[in-house]
Amino acid sequence: MASAVSARKNVSGPTIPPAVLKAMLAIFLFIIVPVALSWIGGGYLFQVATTTLIFIILASSLNLVTGTAGLLSLGHAGFYGIGAYAAALLSTRLGLSFLATLPLAGVAAGAVGVLVALPTMRLVSIYFAVATLGIGEMIYVILLNWTGFTHGPMGIRGIPPIDLLGWQPGTPLFDYLVVAAVTALSLWAMSRLMHSYYGNALRAVREDDQCADAMGLNVVRLKIEAFGVSCFFAGIAGALFCHTAGFISPDQFRFAESINILAMVVVGGLGSLPGAVIGAALLIILPEALRSFGDFRMIAIGSIMFLSILLQPKGLLGEASALDLLRRQFGQGWSGNFATRVGWR
Amino acid sequence: MIDIYFVQQIINGLSIGLVYALIAIGFTLIFGVLNVVNFAHGEVYTIGAFAGLMLITWIAPPVLAIVLMVLAAGAFVGIGLERLAFRPFRRFRDEASLKSRAMREATLLSSLAVSITAREVMNLAFGSQMQTIPHAYLLQRPIVFGQLSITVGDLVIFVASALMLASLQFMLFRTRIGLSIRAVSNSPLGARYVGIDTDRAIVATFAIGSMLGAAAGILVGLYDGMITPQMGFAPGIKAFVAMVMGGLSSIPGAVICALILGVSESVATEFLASGWKDLVSYSFLIVTLVFFPQGLFGVGRERA
Amino acid sequence: MIRNSLRALALMALAAGVALGSLPAAAQTRKIVLGYELPLSGDSSHYGEVFRNAADLMLEDFKASGGLPGADIVIRYEDSKNDAREARNIAQMFVDDKSVVGVLGDFSSTVSMAVGEIYAKAGMPQLSQTASHPDFIKISKWQFRNVTTQAYEGPFNAAWMREQGHAKVAVVAIQNDWGLSAAESFANAFKAKGGSITSIEYFNPGVRDFRSILTKINRAAPDGIYLCMFYEEGASFLEQRQQLRVAAPVFAASSLYNEQLLQLAGSAVDGLMLSSTFVPTNPDPRVQSFVTRYTEKYGQTPSQFAGQAFDAVGIVLAAIKKVGPTVTRDTLRDALAGTTDYPGVTGVTTFDPQTREPAKTLARMIVTNGKYSVIR
Repeated sequence: MASAVSARKNVSGPTIPPAVLKAMLAIFLFIIVPVALSWIGGGYLFQVATTTLIFIILASSLNLVTGTAGLLSLGHAGFYGIGAYAAALLSTRLGLSFLATLPLAGVAAGAVGVLVALPTMRLVSIYFAVATLGIGEMIYVILLNWTGFTHGPMGIRGIPPIDLLGWQPGTPLFDYLVVAAVTALSLWAMSRLMHSYYGNALRAVREDDQCADAMGLNVVRLKIEAFGVSCFFAGIAGALFCHTAGFISPDQFRFAESINILAMVVVGGLGSLPGAVIGAALLIILPEALRSFGDFRMIAIGSIMFLSILLQPKGLLGEASALDLLRRQFGQGWSGNFATRVGWR
Repeated sequence: MIDIYFVQQIINGLSIGLVYALIAIGFTLIFGVLNVVNFAHGEVYTIGAFAGLMLITWIAPPVLAIVLMVLAAGAFVGIGLERLAFRPFRRFRDEASLKSRAMREATLLSSLAVSITAREVMNLAFGSQMQTIPHAYLLQRPIVFGQLSITVGDLVIFVASALMLASLQFMLFRTRIGLSIRAVSNSPLGARYVGIDTDRAIVATFAIGSMLGAAAGILVGLYDGMITPQMGFAPGIKAFVAMVMGGLSSIPGAVICALILGVSESVATEFLASGWKDLVSYSFLIVTLVFFPQGLFGVGRERA
Repeated sequence: MIRNSLRALALMALAAGVALGSLPAAAQTRKIVLGYELPLSGDSSHYGEVFRNAADLMLEDFKASGGLPGADIVIRYEDSKNDAREARNIAQMFVDDKSVVGVLGDFSSTVSMAVGEIYAKAGMPQLSQTASHPDFIKISKWQFRNVTTQAYEGPFNAAWMREQGHAKVAVVAIQNDWGLSAAESFANAFKAKGGSITSIEYFNPGVRDFRSILTKINRAAPDGIYLCMFYEEGASFLEQRQQLRVAAPVFAASSLYNEQLLQLAGSAVDGLMLSSTFVPTNPDPRVQSFVTRYTEKYGQTPSQFAGQAFDAVGIVLAAIKKVGPTVTRDTLRDALAGTTDYPGVTGVTTFDPQTREPAKTLARMIVTNGKYSVIR
């Protein structure tokens, strides 16, 4: 997929018109999958699908900050936890409905993210990573020990299921559709951020922040924004999780979970949004599919992860390929004869 | 009068910190050279402990012999680890891959995948519960100074860390292989240009770093009296934090920061409920990084 | 793996059985499946192994004593890694499978509660052998447990310590739902009986260095220490207590009761006093036969956890037998709720008709010369 080579030739455009492709994806997500799962029957597959969608949001948001902006964040699960707890507390203590808790959870997580980013923005790469690790752990310790506010290890129980303005069927199908809608919206938003000149700016900051600074980009502001937005979406994922699960406790938001999410992003391709989606889907569905392995399941998963990184270190759908794909197939590149794929629409 | 309990807390903290320091030494060495976090170091530590246990059950040699054999096992594991999880990612020599962040994270994740698999294999092989080490070998006899008490193990670990530090400094600054390691750590490309065999230097680094990690494992195993396949995870994180706090390239810095972390945890228990002590150590970390963005003893490194 | 091919065969048999469903019920053996979610990999896998061993043993016994005529009962084990996310997927799988009439598990309270919501919504009886969170059983009428809550054990131990003359006690508890309820119920009962608590020290799960806590306790000079933790941490605690020469005698909740504790802690464990529902030296023939057969088959003395799982499966099987081969999830639930005087190895168990909480008897034990013995 060397764009330099094909830029010289007159290559054909996307094989499927972008609008049709988007419609196909929407149909797949909102019609084909739920119909198929309803037909097979039972809540198990819906459960797996809903979890996959939530982790797609998490992986994409981590990709925004780690892949595109280049800030390795090892504390992502902490912000996921803040979102989940915010939504849980707002709905159980104040009785707010889903339509209110969802954005508020995102805002809470995003606000904490910005607060955290402000003092740590001067740190580079590994120092920043360790700072985020520390912050993730601190969030876990606070959730665990501040029993007065968060119920500590007892967790929060009886979180009301998703309701839209009073309509609360609580069936797996309904949950799935709402989560799918939110996921689609989040992905669209993150895609607009990443696949645009703003995204280019983030990538420039990632590659060489001193150069970016010299070019006139406000590096610190960009980094803080990227981090804040990524935490916002993590919070959204947390709210979705808590309303579909009904019960949350601090040990679901530890460092090990942050590493899981990071693994999804890296396996899929660091810096690539479709890659994050693929990575999340793979690492959620695979452990379920391998249940027949019994005691050897985790070994199989670890080996598969290792092999995929070994054979495709840039990810299953690496950044260059993904950007190329998006420009061509989704028509986000500059219009015209598609001969030159420079620049965003 | 000095508060004797407070002094005891500081001693407790130092001994916790020394355990972190033991692990941090090998960890920092590997990071310093390859600029990549070795997530599997915690597993090497665990393997060292289990190798020691197996040696004790099968052969029952004296303690010193065990430590030497575990050192050998550690070196072996380290070389294997390098070949499995790190070397394949160095096959890309083109400019784009060398600078690519994705490659760096891929190496990080590969060591993570190896560590997950290794831990599960050990869980299956040994069971995930605590294993005891026969009492004859334990380093737990208390030594009493008035109202304070430490154990033989504390002294042994202290001496061991000092020995490790000293021998590392000697090796790094007085031997040829040490020279090549320092060269590669400074600039891999430059080292290759002047004719240093970078692969050999990297393998040596892993061997030495893992030797130290495995030795740390068996010493802590003898000190605690029990080992389990999960024992490497939490201290590994603390060692990582200590390393970064100390400035990435400085091994003595990592040791000092490990001690600081240990003492802060211990003293925090005095004043807060013990559950919050992690909060204190991580706050220390953040504050240190805010005021010393390169770590306490870090010298400026080349950008990224 | 053999188990996999057996499972595959079982599934094929099930499919065949469903396809032939037009045959009259009396002529056909119904396959009844009990789901068992437990940690078979990951950090708690040694507990899961023990549960599986005990469950298999109980199922063997059940079949040997005639089983259930007209039905074939199997247990389907699924690995939850003691992780809420995995467990919820498993719960959905069990709920979807029409042949599963009841579920056992999970190990920790938080996971059991996370899946409890699913079982409550779907109407599946769930019996946990170890979930002791006070809110677990309040989720819905479908939740059961055969382990005493700390609401019962705390006051028992408090009374014991007061009897022994202790007036000032320090409590050390693990920071999870179990530890919280254990510490609070003990502390409240102890204070109600006229004692005083110097402090309750919580430590985060995974901590194994207690010297800071011990030094802090030493400063307050209590005349007794009460532990709410599991045996791995308990062993470390006792050893470090010996190192730091803290003199106060130690009492513990039944969670510490395990043969492994004796090995791990060595001489430091002498003098430990604890309560327990399961005592392997109990002369009761049921207990002895369980201990003998478990030791023969698996090469280690069963712990309280094994006993709990053994009884849990036994209670469910007894309930199924009471209803008969036409058992459904609803009828099983009702039968479970009516469990009275089930003769288990962890004591005679009755579920309270109002709250469904189990009532059991506790024994007082002491460790002398590296062995457990019961104190009358």
